[in-house]
Amino acid sequence: MNAPVAQAALALVKVDKRFPGVHALKDVSIDVRRGEVIGLIGENGAGKSTLMKILSGVYQPDRGDILIGGKRSRLANAADAARQGIGMVFQEQSLFPNLTVGENLYLGAEAQFIRFGLMDWSALYDAARRQLDKVSLAIDPRMRADELDFASRQMVELAKALTLEEHAKGDLVILLDEPTSVLERAEIDILFARVRALKSRASFIFVSHRLDEVLELSDRIYVMKDGAVVAELETANAEVQTLHRLMVGRSLQSEYYRESLQASFRNEVVAEAVGLGLADKYRDVDFKLHAGEILGVAGVIGSGREELTRTLAGLAPHDRGRLLVRGREVRLATPAEAVDCGLGYVPRERRVEGLVLFLSVAANITLAALTELTRYGFVDRREERRLAREWVERLQVRTPGIDALCLNLSGGNQQKVVLAKWLTAKAKILILDHPTRGLDVGAKEEVYELARAVTKQGVAIILTSDTLDETIGLSHNVLVMRDGAITHRAGASPGGKPRQVDLIKHMV
Amino acid sequence: MSGVTSVVSQFRFDGLRQWAPLGTLVLLVLVVGAAQPSFLEPETLLQLAGDTAVLFILASGVAFSIMLGGIDLSIQSMASLASVIVALTVARLGYGSFVLAIGVGAFAGFLSGVAHVKLRIPSFIATLAMGGVLYSAALVVSHERSITLGVGERDYQTWIAGSLSGVPNVIVIALVVLIFVHILQQHTRFGRYSAAIGAGEPAAYASGVKVNRQKVLAYILSASLAALAGVVLAGRLASGSPTLAAELLLPAIAAVVVGGTAITGGVGSIWRTLIGSLIISVVRVGMTFLGVDIFAQNIVFGAVLIAAVAVTIDRSKIPIVK
Repeated sequence: MNAPVAQAALALVKVDKRFPGVHALKDVSIDVRRGEVIGLIGENGAGKSTLMKILSGVYQPDRGDILIGGKRSRLANAADAARQGIGMVFQEQSLFPNLTVGENLYLGAEAQFIRFGLMDWSALYDAARRQLDKVSLAIDPRMRADELDFASRQMVELAKALTLEEHAKGDLVILLDEPTSVLERAEIDILFARVRALKSRASFIFVSHRLDEVLELSDRIYVMKDGAVVAELETANAEVQTLHRLMVGRSLQSEYYRESLQASFRNEVVAEAVGLGLADKYRDVDFKLHAGEILGVAGVIGSGREELTRTLAGLAPHDRGRLLVRGREVRLATPAEAVDCGLGYVPRERRVEGLVLFLSVAANITLAALTELTRYGFVDRREERRLAREWVERLQVRTPGIDALCLNLSGGNQQKVVLAKWLTAKAKILILDHPTRGLDVGAKEEVYELARAVTKQGVAIILTSDTLDETIGLSHNVLVMRDGAITHRAGASPGGKPRQVDLIKHMV
Repeated sequence: MSGVTSVVSQFRFDGLRQWAPLGTLVLLVLVVGAAQPSFLEPETLLQLAGDTAVLFILASGVAFSIMLGGIDLSIQSMASLASVIVALTVARLGYGSFVLAIGVGAFAGFLSGVAHVKLRIPSFIATLAMGGVLYSAALVVSHERSITLGVGERDYQTWIAGSLSGVPNVIVIALVVLIFVHILQQHTRFGRYSAAIGAGEPAAYASGVKVNRQKVLAYILSASLAALAGVVLAGRLASGSPTLAAELLLPAIAAVVVGGTAITGGVGSIWRTLIGSLIISVVRVGMTFLGVDIFAQNIVFGAVLIAAVAVTIDRSKIPIVK
């Protein structure tokens, strides 16, 4: 480490955190010096959000220390973290739209404005105006938050984090969690200028997956991968390619995605979109999906690919164009209709939409196939258990038994149960929505292998993925979307995989 | 049997906590029996079982809604209305009056269910409102009075009030309900879907379960069983009245929860409801032995309900309670 940890405004020393089945943080050490902007990067699942949640008091570390101003500290909850000078500017903005800017700034800290048991509103708004001046935001603090545009709200959040300097004991550290994802370039410039101007008042931790922005704003950069810090660099010594390589952790190895198992798909079209659209989400989407094909959909947040996925899952029915599934035109108004058409949705929120955690492995595996298992109104439980055992064995689900609750399985095994559910239901098309999110490397590889195996049986897959790397590695064909429309189509046969940069230029 | 193993796995999950209801029941019986040895005589126990029947039928109905994570607050009004319907129509319709009463129950449950899922009204509001409607309906059609059954009308009640070689018929009726509900919960899609919806509605929905249909069905069952409870009550008391089942809502919900069914949904079985109902009955009898004023008994049931909810769920997993 370049500087003694004791001098840091904030330091994490060998912090470790586990969740059932996931080792989220492995001996992570990070220090933030006074007046410094730290960049924190990593792929989804690298542990950035867990780290932020520990710093904001939402999670407690299993092991390791948090030092604030050199003193060992405990952040019991968000309010406690705030008291100790850790402020947050969230990715998903946390302002209450129905409250005024001033009320938002001092939410939970109104006590200081109470005179004789009543709120002294003019004192609050005077104080709010002073806060807004710090970030040079010239708005009336009596405005409601929902009257502001995104960029101004972000500034209000920053101002809110800065109110902490009035009561926090030590140095102020502000966590900026993906603050630029909804901003335009001009707005980003303003935000960055403010952050730089505020370095005399506070230190910052800037989390982003836009590497160029991290390079632009940070003084020092930590790279995380699979729960560990894999590199710490001075920004002066870093460039986008280096960071990317460190983040992904390998130059692209084709075998990681089992490309040798990528068989050519069949001629049979199982799903077809013609001018498909959903108001304000996506439009004019055309594609053909063949039996045995993996069709990757790439795009950034707001590109419309997430909504397209949900349309196919029956969760966001299209309102324009035509969707044909196995030759029949359909409009999937509910997941039940999608399931009837042979579609199976493997959602990114595995623990919410993928599995009923408090039901057994067997009950989850057969949940979408109970109708076929019903004879004369009664569920054939013997057949049900036989099927469950068969799939547990075939997919090598590591579970104490088919009666164990899914709650107690690791992420990778939970994902296998979700896949087993759709294979039991004989789904012909799988919609894999970020299928490896939160999984460790070994579990990811098993998912890739399964994807290859089912496509060989003629199952078609629509894939949206956390990383472009994964999309390219797994898919036969890639659709690139931007602002709701398809901007590029690329073949991705083994040996002929497109380069990331060639796709990225169609994404942004 | 696989039904047992799935129950066992649920028990294993929460450990000893899940055996608490049965332990409580045994303990209560022993305590009351020690204080009043005549309590343990077969006739007293049969009497107790008979007295539990109405509560059990009501509780097994409302358990369907609780299993989904909802609630049906209309059951006591439904039961009272059913008693009034029987009292008013049995002379003309004979056994058809029972069918009519239960049919009205099914229809009321259908309306509550549709209001809940289609208008997206929380179930406690939808059924609270339905309870008000049913109570008023009972007042209006009965002209606000209790209707005693005539001698000829009582003949139609022997399937309820009579007994079969010493065993009161109500016990047989309760057993039929027990078997019916057990099969429904353990051996049909409806039972499995109910558990799935209660334990994780978004996942059930995304798996293609027709969630709304299952919910409406649960409220139909809840209100139909409430109507059956009212029919049985009318038969036992040989009268119908708009307040016949008043004071039964709290004990019925308490019975479900005391038995170990989670108020948040997803976990529960008819056996738990049976044990819970017996606990409530023994507590009631015990209080009578101890000379507790009958009108003060709901104080105890209220306290028992709060305690049972606090004990059956691990509160630390629930950040916000509304």
